[in-house]
Order: sequence, then structure tokens, then C-alpha cells
Amino acid sequence: MAQFRLQGSKVLAVDLTGDAVKAKNGSMVAYDGQMAFKKMSGGGEGLRGMVTRRLTGEQMTVMEVQGHGTCFFADRASEINLVNLRGEKLYVESSNLLCTDAGLRTGTTFTGLRGASTGNGLFTTTVEGSGQAAIVSDGPAVVLRVSAQYPLSVDPGAYIAHTGNLQQSFQSGVTFRTLIGEGSGEAFQIRFEGEGLVYVQPSERNTVGGDI
Amino acid sequence: MPFREINSKMVEAQVVPGQRMFSQRGAMLAYRGDVSFTPSLTGGQGGVMGMIGRRVANEQTPLMTVEGSGTVMFGHGGHHIQVINLTGETLYVEADRLLAFDGTLQQGTMFMGSQGGVMGMVRGQVSGQGLFTTTLKGHGSVAVMAHGGVIELPITPNRPVHVDPQAYVAHHGDVRNKLSTALGWRDMVGRGSGEAFQLELSGQGAVYVQASEEKL
Repeated sequence: MAQFRLQGSKVLAVDLTGDAVKAKNGSMVAYDGQMAFKKMSGGGEGLRGMVTRRLTGEQMTVMEVQGHGTCFFADRASEINLVNLRGEKLYVESSNLLCTDAGLRTGTTFTGLRGASTGNGLFTTTVEGSGQAAIVSDGPAVVLRVSAQYPLSVDPGAYIAHTGNLQQSFQSGVTFRTLIGEGSGEAFQIRFEGEGLVYVQPSERNTVGGDI
Repeated sequence: MPFREINSKMVEAQVVPGQRMFSQRGAMLAYRGDVSFTPSLTGGQGGVMGMIGRRVANEQTPLMTVEGSGTVMFGHGGHHIQVINLTGETLYVEADRLLAFDGTLQQGTMFMGSQGGVMGMVRGQVSGQGLFTTTLKGHGSVAVMAHGGVIELPITPNRPVHVDPQAYVAHHGDVRNKLSTALGWRDMVGRGSGEAFQLELSGQGAVYVQASEEKL
């Protein structure tokens, strides 16, 4: 299986011995050995996946990299986080997904209101199976554990991914004060309950919530 | 005079009397002691001919001479800085990526077409780096800027390294470079993998690659 390792915090090195990985289009910065790059239309999930992605707006341009040697990936100097999946499911925004083992299945899922508030749409990408994945974040991400006693609320703009059995609900603190422009600036949060891990970046995307 | 890395985005240099160094104009952040900064019209060494050469080659980044005695801190635009120590070999780097370097290093410009012929020239156009590149040769230190962190990849005779032209920062050693294309009909109809052009570096040396595909 492809070996993922970090070279510094912003470059992902993948050692390949004839196997393959899926990576964001154009994210290769260097390689040694023999590599072949092939675009996979519609995120590489076949026709059905392609249609779903079109419909849900959760577009992903992915290439398959196959070869012998080491391939280096990076994305606009973003920090890279490695995730080890052992049969569980990773939920991640497609724009934060850098590279996955070719053996992992990707798909799309409905996120509910959270997507609308993050400005990422109503759908998110799922990665499932056993193997490694690399996600990017703006600044080093922290991994926060959610358990039955300790639910977690996250700013929609700082959320990047989660794993585990989590229910998410949308919290709004919009009041009369918000409407007259006296809001706290933290009008929306996503609340996670259950058992799992949430990846949070030290930066906030531009979201509707940020303006209120 | 080696540069001391204060953090990933700032370096400190010792300036001693009788030895000068060059830096990109405006890259001084702070200094201690008695140091003077003068614009270097000739762009370092090479006199008037060198100046004309650089003008023609469009490899001119305004430089200044740093002299005196004290310590100077350099940094620019929040870019990541990589210090490269040269021990006699030649460093190839784009002029606009040069932050500061020892005055003892010999400066020159190299025509990309002389390496790899026509493809060498195409290389410059594709990577947006022009037809010429700056060379620095000798013993001393160079501070080079990059977007994001930098990794150093060794190049050995049996292991050429392929680099995305946009992520290429600099290289040193006895290295040949050529542009390799993987242009298929898929790329023509806009369905390429986004990795149509690669810079193939072979020989003996090292290449510096930044963690980003953005120019400075």
C-alpha cells in the first residue's frame, strides 16, 4: 500500500511501489522515479458518482497517480494533516481533500443546514475504507475529541473534517440584537454530539455567519 | 558569513568591515550597529557590462549593497526563507527570489536556451520565469525566498527528479534540466490531470522545491 509521510508540515511525500493514489488535480510539486498522471472525471466514482457530484455541487477534480518512486504533493502552502482510516468514514469538504489511498471509496453525503452556513453547499465528501488520507488546512489543525459527555460547538468557517459517529446540529444565536447590527459576530455554530473526532483549523473561511 | 535563521521568515546576517553583501532593495527589517545601505546600480558585480546584460536579460531585481559593521535582519513579504550554503558550486535561481547573498559570490546570468536548446526556452516561457536565470558561484551563503516551506531533493545520476515548473525554486550542482511534457489529447480538450509540464533535472546536485504552486 502507498506510504504517506510528511516532509515538513506543508509537503506530503507518498512512496509508491506500483500502486496508486488519488490526488487533487495539479497538486504534484515534484517526483522521482516513474509516475503516470491520469485525470479521473467526476472524482473517479463512475458515472453515477459524476452525476451526483454535478447535482450536489460537491465537485472534485481528481487525478490518479500511479508509479514507482516518491511523489511530493502540496497545495498553496497549506498545512497537511494525515488521517488513518480503519474502516471508518471521514467527512471532509472536497476543497480540503488533498490525497487519498486509491483503495478508499469516496462519495457525497447530505450535511443539512451546516453546509449552507459554511458557504460550502449542502453536501460534503465522504472517504471510507482502510488506508491513509491527507487533508489540508489553513494553519495547523487541531483534532478535538467529542464524547457523550462532551459535545462540541465549532465555527462553520473553521470546521474542516470529522470522523466517527457524530450527529451534527445547527445552532443559531441570531436575535433582535443581530438584526440591528449589535451581534457578537458568532451568530452560527455547528454542534457535534456522539463519539468522534473533529478537525478544526485556526482560520475562518468567509461565511455568512462571519458577517453577522 | 552564514545567515542565522531567526524563524522561517526572517534571517539575520553579520556585517563586518571590508566585506559587503547584497540584498533585495527594501528587504531590511532591522539592524544593529553602524550599517549603510546603498542602491547598487550595477546589480551586484559585473560592472557596466553586467548591468547591461541583466537589463537585456530582464533578470534585474533592484539590489542594494550592505556595508559596515553590525547585524542586519532581512525578510520580505512574509515569504518563507531558505538559507543555502555554497561550497564552490553554482546556484541557479530566479532573480526575484533572491533575498540576500554574500558579496564574495560571483554573479552571472545564464541563458536557458543553452541548456536543452529550444525546449530550454520553452521551459522559461511555460514556467513564467523568462529566458534567463541568475547564477551565483563560490563560497558563501544565499537566502532564497519561497511561498510556503521548501524541501531539498537530492539529484543523483540514476535518480532524476521531476518538478512542477511553478513549484521550482532553485537548484545547484552539475545538473541538466529539460522540460518534459506529458501532453496527450486529453490535455488538449481540457481534461488533463493538471500535470502536463514537468521539469526534469538529472545529474548530480540538489533541487529546492516550494510547498506551493504560486509565484511570489
